[in-house]
Amino acid sequence: KKGLKRPKKNKVTGLPKHLPGFTRCLASSIRFHGEGYQEGYEDGSSLGRIEGRQHGALRGAKIGSEIGCYQGFAFAWKHLLHSDASERDRKRKVLESLMGMIEKFPYDDPAYDKLHEDLDRIRGKFRQLCSLLNVQPDFKMSAEGSGLSF
Amino acid sequence: MSWVQAASSTPGAADEEDVFDEEADESLLVQREWRNHMQRRIKEGYRDGLDAGKAVTLQQGFNQGYKEGAEVIINYGQLRGTLSALLSWCHLHDNSSTLISEINSLLDAVGQCEEYVLKHLKSITSQPHVVDLLDSIEDMDLCHVVPDEKKIDETKDERLCENNAELNKNCGKSPSGKDCSYLERCTTQEHSHSENPNLAWILEQTASLVKQLGISIDVLQHLKQL
Repeated sequence: KKGLKRPKKNKVTGLPKHLPGFTRCLASSIRFHGEGYQEGYEDGSSLGRIEGRQHGALRGAKIGSEIGCYQGFAFAWKHLLHSDASERDRKRKVLESLMGMIEKFPYDDPAYDKLHEDLDRIRGKFRQLCSLLNVQPDFKMSAEGSGLSF
Repeated sequence: MSWVQAASSTPGAADEEDVFDEEADESLLVQREWRNHMQRRIKEGYRDGLDAGKAVTLQQGFNQGYKEGAEVIINYGQLRGTLSALLSWCHLHDNSSTLISEINSLLDAVGQCEEYVLKHLKSITSQPHVVDLLDSIEDMDLCHVVPDEKKIDETKDERLCENNAELNKNCGKSPSGKDCSYLERCTTQEHSHSENPNLAWILEQTASLVKQLGISIDVLQHLKQL
């Protein structure tokens, strides 16, 4: 026997302290973590994009559907009023106003800073139009599981 | 490190584990611990990397998907709004209940088309990547990560199944034969993205409805792009 002591272990890493090339061991530990990290980062990037896209699609469709509804409704009524000669001036004004607001609204831009503001204004104008026309619109949004109901 | 020199001078002590007489077993244990430790490090690294990568692209993906979702659905929204306008016109002018129920059916049809389009959009955004990821993750043998990817795959499958079940169910309880035809078209229309034969049918029906109401066809002018 050479009078060698049993090597103590590092309390944190659990690695024997006096093993030759302890620094190498530590470096390996860091390196393995790094390699795992790189793989994970690549996979995470793809996953994040996919997840983000799915959430975004639902959200964007919700907005797009609502705006499209108001727009189609307004366009159709513009022509319906055209054929109805009586008392259409005020209705037309509100109609044109609504259509103008929708036209300006960037419905496909999630980062638009006035998104909620403008959307609320559009909704308000739409409600005003409906009461003028004396209609209660039914867009037939299905209740079960539809992510599109507004 | 004098003991290293001492070790190498011992006959037959070429490996590190021969340095310690009574610790032959323990050195094997140490090796195993070392291997486990390194595997853990890889897994930890993977997890950290995964979170970091996700955080970077989540918002980008969201913005991209938002635009896609809005653009694909807006035409359906316009159609729905148009039908709703016609419906309210009918109510105001006390039109026949058959026409009203026809409009309601068409509105339902548009709604279902929208749902279908959305589901299709979801499956398209997830499909190309998940399979690749599953392969590489399985190679790494990191069990805890796999369930997430599998979950995405499963929910996509669930949605497609749900979709078919829903359509079949609705086909069953529809009042008139007419309703079934457009639902059938929904189920057969697997990969339509630019082409919408189903939408065309709804538009046809809407046009004939407009004629029946004695309204100028111009009322549908804004839907020309469909």
